[in-house]
Amino acid sequence: MKMKRGKPKVDIPSVAMGDIAFNLLIFFVILAQSQDDSHIQWTPAKADNLKGAGYTRVTVTIDKDQKVYLNGQELSEGQLASRIESNLGDAPAGQRKVMLKAHSECTAAKFEPVIEAISQAGGELVHILEDKKNQ
Amino acid sequence: MKFRRSTKLLVDVPAVASGDIAFNLIVFFLVCASTQPDTGRSQILPKSEQTQQQQEPQDEHLTVDIKRTAILINGDPVKMTEIKARVKAKLAGKSRPEDRVVIVKSADDVPYHAWIEVTSQIEDAGGIITLQLEEERTVDVPQ
Repeated sequence: MKMKRGKPKVDIPSVAMGDIAFNLLIFFVILAQSQDDSHIQWTPAKADNLKGAGYTRVTVTIDKDQKVYLNGQELSEGQLASRIESNLGDAPAGQRKVMLKAHSECTAAKFEPVIEAISQAGGELVHILEDKKNQ
Repeated sequence: MKFRRSTKLLVDVPAVASGDIAFNLIVFFLVCASTQPDTGRSQILPKSEQTQQQQEPQDEHLTVDIKRTAILINGDPVKMTEIKARVKAKLAGKSRPEDRVVIVKSADDVPYHAWIEVTSQIEDAGGIITLQLEEERTVDVPQ
């Protein structure tokens, strides 16, 4: 009797898949931290009739010390318009949202030039506020 | 000779799945962290341009002056709660967007929360906000 020799079954070892995914995730989390603005201290102003702000690539923050940040990085007001413009690129209308997170007590001398810079860069301004009902 | 049989077994926790557990934990916390939505108010502002003072007559447009302690509509002081009704009354019968322009001038020391309150009421009344900024403002450049 002649025994037929079977083909050896070769599988990709799947034991390390979890570890690979974990390391990939850590990599992307670290990468995303460069745009993180959670370290900036600011209190939103309160208003009525608010809507969801949606997603945007550009966020301008004015903190409690009246410092200006673009996507979490401090910069001067003079640089703001050009930096916003380069971040927005050729995005069409409707996708040029710029979120403004201004500290509730910051003064017009600070936030008005920022609004002007956003307007100059062709950004669609969205003020990030807190609903009065949440008080 | 009698051999004693050991009954104690060495049991290890299976470490194969710890990577998957860690991955699932991270996904869970990431999802939790991203569920706080931002709410806000969009504001359409005309693209800024430099204009000579008194170049074009601004008498036709409504002007709102915001001071630290007072709000003036065309020079008349108004209470914060009355702004919407007053602006609505002044814009009544004006349907063209260019007629609904409201010029907002703010003093340097006006806080953002007061500015938002006033401009929100103007927009709710149907006004289109235009900011009038003074040119002479100092800008601090970080060293």
